Amino acid sequence: MGRLTGKVAVILGASDARSMGAATARRFVEEGAKVVLAARRKDAVADIAAELGGIGVGCDITDEASVAALAKAAVEHFGGLHVAVNYAGQSSQASVLDVTAEQLRHQSEIHFVGTALFIKHMALAMQQGGSIVTASSLTVLVQAPDLGAYAGSKGGADVYVRVAANELGARGIRVNSLAPGFTRSAMTEDYFAVPAVTNAFLKEMPLGRFPTVEDIASTALWLASDEAFVTGQRIDVTAGQALRRTPRPEEFI
Amino acid sequence: MSGRLASKTALVVGAAGEGNMGQVIARRFAAEGARVAVAGRNRAVLDRLAAEIGGVAVDCDFSDRASIFAMVDATCAALGGIDIAVNATGWGLLKPFLETTDADFDRMYALQLRGPFQFVQALIPVMEKTGGSIVQISSATATIMFHDHAAYMATKAGTDHMLRTVANEFGHLGIRVNSISPGVTETPMTAEAAAVPGLMDAFVKGYPLGRYGTSDDIAAGCVWLASDECFMTGETMQVNGGLILRGNPTKAAIEASVAAAMSAQE
Repeated sequence: MGRLTGKVAVILGASDARSMGAATARRFVEEGAKVVLAARRKDAVADIAAELGGIGVGCDITDEASVAALAKAAVEHFGGLHVAVNYAGQSSQASVLDVTAEQLRHQSEIHFVGTALFIKHMALAMQQGGSIVTASSLTVLVQAPDLGAYAGSKGGADVYVRVAANELGARGIRVNSLAPGFTRSAMTEDYFAVPAVTNAFLKEMPLGRFPTVEDIASTALWLASDEAFVTGQRIDVTAGQALRRTPRPEEFI
Repeated sequence: MSGRLASKTALVVGAAGEGNMGQVIARRFAAEGARVAVAGRNRAVLDRLAAEIGGVAVDCDFSDRASIFAMVDATCAALGGIDIAVNATGWGLLKPFLETTDADFDRMYALQLRGPFQFVQALIPVMEKTGGSIVQISSATATIMFHDHAAYMATKAGTDHMLRTVANEFGHLGIRVNSISPGVTETPMTAEAAAVPGLMDAFVKGYPLGRYGTSDDIAAGCVWLASDECFMTGETMQVNGGLILRGNPTKAAIEASVAAAMSAQE
């Protein structure tokens, strides 16, 4: 008996085998869940989903109809929805003095509006309670230069998570976020290619190693399983970096 | 043996009360495959629990440094090391702020701040070669308010912060340190209060999930933080069904709830 036996889980943001989404899908399936994997391009998730006995669905988190259709696909294909995990995200860099309104709006569309709509439609499809998990970020916990639009929209989503947890508790739905630290994944591959960057970050991690996508997946599993009497929380998986700081760019030498 | 804590050794302090949180945690750890030492001040109760779960019983007075170090030594001698250590001791004093005496405060400090500090001092040398996971049972009241509970709340909050410094300084040795913050929990300690009509109704309103916690909820959180698949450190994990979002009832709200329940019974 697995920890998610009998559960149907939607995982958005699983288009790369090295992603947190794909690692989470693998872990959930090991624990008995049926999975619906989603990304903007359906063809990108189809293979990973097929390997895991799940289905792949195209979903753009900035499009409400598309998010609603994702929840509907899970219910139609597997007969219900119990767990929903959102890793959809995109980083964007600009200093406070250079940032454009367009950048701010686009980041908000993905991380704030998108997360809110994800919670809304997944919760509407959860008929017997459930667990919703959404990715926050280390940048919400310790300031990183040039990531104001990203961190601000992620931080706004964390506040939304608390409001949603308070409202949705009566329906037996728990809502939490998970803040990964600097994790090697498809999204961060470029940073990991530069030793000066990884060395500077490693100094700020009390646990002395980078979080892995498997660490993120096991945390999502804890939050997804019925044993977690936890709601409205941001769970930090940063290797303890939230206790320290983000290195400054001038340290990347 | 299979289980999420297979081949682990664990020490649970505060397991000498029948059915208390420490006992539930110790039973769950054993069920997950850990070899468990249970500690506290009532040896007869500890011996029964140890026999039940195939573990060992160790004496400890958490207000005494020598006793804490002796407990850690005895556990290492019996189990060969300590991978997981949980402090589930506590003293739930409810006393108005202005009436709290120096003696009350000193005892609270000894049990809930100095004791946890010394416990970690004893554990680090044991864990420094192998790594490990230390879990402190804190309280939602380290963050949110409750009346007549200042000495308890202040020491819980102090211990949470102390543990962050430990997480920061000893993480490189593979030692993770976290605390769990329960809200009101169904335990022998709260059974008397739960029997008062209307009293728990006042509390339940603070829980978005519609119920208050159980020791099983806390034990599940301990298993997660203790297991190797957890990569968290320096965290105060709120295992209280969202209580932290709403808060505890005021003294007046509790009194009103009890009065309403009493008059409904008449």
